[in-house]
Amino acid sequence: MASPINKKVLQTLAELARLELQEREAGKLLQDLQKILDHFGELRELDTDEVEAELAIDETRKIFREDNERKNTDLGQGKESFPAKEDGFLSIPPVF
Amino acid sequence: MHPFKELTIAGFAEGLREKEFSALEVTLAYLEDIKKRDGTLGAYLSVRDEAVQEAGAADLALARGEDLGILSGTPLAIKDNILIQGHTATAASKILKDYVASYDAGVIKKLKEAGAVFLGKTNLDEFAMGSSTENSGFHLTRNPHDPERVPGGSSGGSTAAVAANLAVAALGSDTGGSIRQPAAFCGVVGLKPTYGAVSRSGLIAMASSLDQIGPIAKTVEDAARLFLAVKGSDPLDNTSIGHKYDDKEILSPDFEKIKNLTVGVPKEYFIGGLEKEVEDGVSAAIEKLKSIGVKFKSVSLPHTKYALSTYYIIMPAEVSSNLARFDGIRYASGRSDVSYSHPKNLLDLYLADRGRGFGPEAKRRIILGTFVLSSGYYDAYYEKARLVSALIRKDFDEAFGDVDVLLTPVTPTRAFKIGEKTSDPLSMYLSDVFTIPANLAGIPAISIPVGKTTEGELPVGFQLMGRHFREADILGLGFYYEKLK
Repeated sequence: MASPINKKVLQTLAELARLELQEREAGKLLQDLQKILDHFGELRELDTDEVEAELAIDETRKIFREDNERKNTDLGQGKESFPAKEDGFLSIPPVF
Repeated sequence: MHPFKELTIAGFAEGLREKEFSALEVTLAYLEDIKKRDGTLGAYLSVRDEAVQEAGAADLALARGEDLGILSGTPLAIKDNILIQGHTATAASKILKDYVASYDAGVIKKLKEAGAVFLGKTNLDEFAMGSSTENSGFHLTRNPHDPERVPGGSSGGSTAAVAANLAVAALGSDTGGSIRQPAAFCGVVGLKPTYGAVSRSGLIAMASSLDQIGPIAKTVEDAARLFLAVKGSDPLDNTSIGHKYDDKEILSPDFEKIKNLTVGVPKEYFIGGLEKEVEDGVSAAIEKLKSIGVKFKSVSLPHTKYALSTYYIIMPAEVSSNLARFDGIRYASGRSDVSYSHPKNLLDLYLADRGRGFGPEAKRRIILGTFVLSSGYYDAYYEKARLVSALIRKDFDEAFGDVDVLLTPVTPTRAFKIGEKTSDPLSMYLSDVFTIPANLAGIPAISIPVGKTTEGELPVGFQLMGRHFREADILGLGFYYEKLK
């Protein structure tokens, strides 16, 4: 069976995942992914028609917090790690 | 080497109480030894000068006659994907090279309350993705028993530090075996607790439905002490459900109860490809446990062989989502060597920063995860894997109807050579084949050395898996196993 992943699909996936790939790494990555996906083929032999998808989720209980007023997250320390800032705001290149 | 190298958590607590040494003295000796010996070993990514003050505070508390925490003054190593406020947390990734944690992880808060001292942050495979610590974005870690071999991974820095006596004990994280596999390779004890037993707040997430933090230690008793210190609920992690453990049962297991446990040996774990030394080691462990009266039974976990494929679909799916937050902006204080100097727009910047900041394995898993979740392939891969995962869990439920604990090998082979598996990701993935099922089922599992490793030999470990929240069973069996040596 032809692999569901080829050079073009890989390029699309990389764009969706926001990853710039160099030509050389893309070639090796494609080979690896084809081999890994081929290995996954073994799952097709298993009949899972009877398995309730719900089985995959354990009994859970909902956890709510009290609906009280809360102090906002302190941005103080988070802001320290902005690579570029102006007037306390994160500075980024134009969106468009 | 310093005089405190053989210290365990238990031994340290006693020595401190008896005033054989001060916490400061021990911490200084460890820091000095790290400086001297870690250059070649590579267990640590960073060392904390604050450890000196923390140890001093423990001595002061003792001098004042204050109530000491259960880990008061104990020098520990922490895997570098766990946040300590004010200290770097890189997850061994270049994209987080300069990230300084702005808060303490849930487990760090608990350890601080218990009085622990943090010597430093240990090396790992980038974002905990790997089985050899070779995927670290910074440097290799060597196996203390053979410098030509890997320490295992992804918590290879933590297990190497403990095995080389560069920390009394350590914390690691385990998504598919990342505590147990390196523990087996380095000849130390590693426990992956039940999913939900320990808070993951402040653990840099890899696959959230599988990740769990756990102890790495020289003895089972130490692993139990460290587990008790970090377990419990945390409002910042809703999966930490605060199960009511019986601490006494875990700290001082009842021999009568332990020897009456029935242990199952699943035949699917003794497949072709199992190294002879590993098979012999596991058989020797079984014989030893039989000698104290533990009963053994052959059981079957029929879907075991599908666990690897299932895991390598579910985990990357979660990885692709969890790693989306790393865009080279939010968690970087300086982007000089990663960043793209003149990005046209924001997208351009993301593509470049992520493309350069992530290593090959992280990229492989992000792309794989993006693929299995993509429209058209979701059902064939992700949904299928979820269903098979349910079958694997059912296997365990049925086996635990019959036996109390399962005993298996931890890894198919002993520690492999540096570079041996780096070019073939699938062969690297296969080294997790025996540890993955416990993560998919959410059950507790522990890796214990078969015996003391003699000079020139490589360690072998065996794995015990227990029912959900029955850490007491596997720790108890391990505790009495160690007494047999």
